Amino acid sequence: MSANPIIETKKATIRFNGLTAVDTVDFRMEAGEAVGVIGPNGAGKTTFFNLLTGLYTPTEGAILFSGKDITKVPPHRRVALGIIRTFQLVSVFDSLPVIDNLALSTIRFGENYGGKGKFFFANVHSQRIMKACMEKLEVLGISDKADLMTSELSYGDKRKLEIAVALSLNPKILLLDEPFAGLSDSEIGEVSVIINRVKKDLSFVIIEHKISRIVDMVGRLCVMHEGRLIADGPPNQVLCDATVREVYWGKEEGLTCSV
Amino acid sequence: MEKAGTDLTKRSIWRTLDIPIIIAGFLVILPILGINRTTDFAIFCIFVLAFNILYGFMGRLSFGHMLYLGTGAYAVTLFSEHVSGNPLLAILAALVAGALIGVILGPIIVRTTGACFALINLAFCQVGYFLVLVAFSRYTGGEDGMSAYFSKMPLLNFGNKGIVFGFVLFCLVLAYFFLKKFTASPYGVLIRSIKENETRVKFLGYNTFNYKWITFIISTTVSAFAGALSIINYGYVTPSFIDPSRAVEVIFAALIGGSGSLYGSIIGGVVYMAISNYLASYIPRWEMFLGFALLIVVFRFRTGVWGFMTGLFTRRRDALTR
Repeated sequence: MSANPIIETKKATIRFNGLTAVDTVDFRMEAGEAVGVIGPNGAGKTTFFNLLTGLYTPTEGAILFSGKDITKVPPHRRVALGIIRTFQLVSVFDSLPVIDNLALSTIRFGENYGGKGKFFFANVHSQRIMKACMEKLEVLGISDKADLMTSELSYGDKRKLEIAVALSLNPKILLLDEPFAGLSDSEIGEVSVIINRVKKDLSFVIIEHKISRIVDMVGRLCVMHEGRLIADGPPNQVLCDATVREVYWGKEEGLTCSV
Repeated sequence: MEKAGTDLTKRSIWRTLDIPIIIAGFLVILPILGINRTTDFAIFCIFVLAFNILYGFMGRLSFGHMLYLGTGAYAVTLFSEHVSGNPLLAILAALVAGALIGVILGPIIVRTTGACFALINLAFCQVGYFLVLVAFSRYTGGEDGMSAYFSKMPLLNFGNKGIVFGFVLFCLVLAYFFLKKFTASPYGVLIRSIKENETRVKFLGYNTFNYKWITFIISTTVSAFAGALSIINYGYVTPSFIDPSRAVEVIFAALIGGSGSLYGSIIGGVVYMAISNYLASYIPRWEMFLGFALLIVVFRFRTGVWGFMTGLFTRRRDALTR
């Protein structure tokens, strides 16, 4: 492994009133890697994401980004560093028009509104800002729905919108928390295509319940169980691991480990 | 692209001609209500606008907004008494006082949400009420209040009710114009996003605390503006301008008008004032009927009078185009 991982945790631990949700996790990934995090419900996958993105501060341990300690850095500053996430329950602003959802993220890092004072005085629906937002929507193929209220979108389109928002924040590392949850089979296909297309340009971590959906997408799998990282390696190796097979499928099931 | 641009920038006549419509509206009610009441209504509308930027747009309900109105009212009076009788300078001093109280209390207040936010505002309002009523009664006149005397300006003789009315209407339009500009900007999208999901906004890279603080300061400043204008209109200040129990007035007005819109604030302000002024002269316990009116609004017209009307118009338009 190289000396400069993009993100690294050192014995990251978080406890909530005695429950250890994430337990001494040592995790590191290189720039450009694609990592899948799997594990049963309540294994601590989302909590682990919350530690990486700054929603929670670890009880013990440290989190490093490109070698710098970011353990105490608040979420909005981590976003500025390039740590971008999506949420398990799709998280967009239902009360805004679809295109307005992209305004804040597009403006944040784009040069689309000229000057800081303009944040308060520029019209958000000016051609300049809207054009930049529209380009982001086109990437995800939902530009025809730009004028709808977000609450009118299907769940799958909301997920695409959320990914469009995440991509417009110029991620260095993208953390996707169960992006396929609640989507129909055809939508899963569409979202997979999008993820496969963008993953070449950035590092990304994806949480997923169903291994088969991500096994071709990632170069490495991490398995979490009861807050611990119990396996970490290439997918076929991890899936043949005896401990993993036990926590994931139970002892009895005779699934073969060829992937 | 063409389509998105035109659809979102295309506004109804109500939005493009909003300022002339507001002015015309007040000129229409002027002969009906008389000049004193119309001026009073317009000032109250400024207060509702200030309240609504916090409540309707950012989703933070305050039970203590009388404090910020009162800050402006007492600042303008004390300034005219001790520093200068120039009314414009006195109003400026009130704006500074309003901004200052927002700057000072903001970091404590905007940390909270929901019931806590509502009550912490109320708590500070109680403190302010006590200060003017008891602790500083030597300077504020305590329960009796005090008169404010302003020197005559060349074009702004505030002894003339017509000029006061014109000036107040100008101030209402000014406040409306600035708040409209703010709410149509990326900042406007930001505060509406905070209302819906503050955590998500943090993960868009914004330090939400700062923006909540700024919104709070805007709200306290505009409230103080309304307070200052009240004193210009009445000529004296009493503790009723900072009375915590009157906080409910502005909340009712915002709910009646429709909480997420500036137009709604003005309509709500006028409707509330009409109810409280006229119902009161016919029915001694008019508050009960206001309560019923509010129940109807909350259950039947969730989006307020203005929200209901726009909903009606868009439905009709949709039906026609279909």
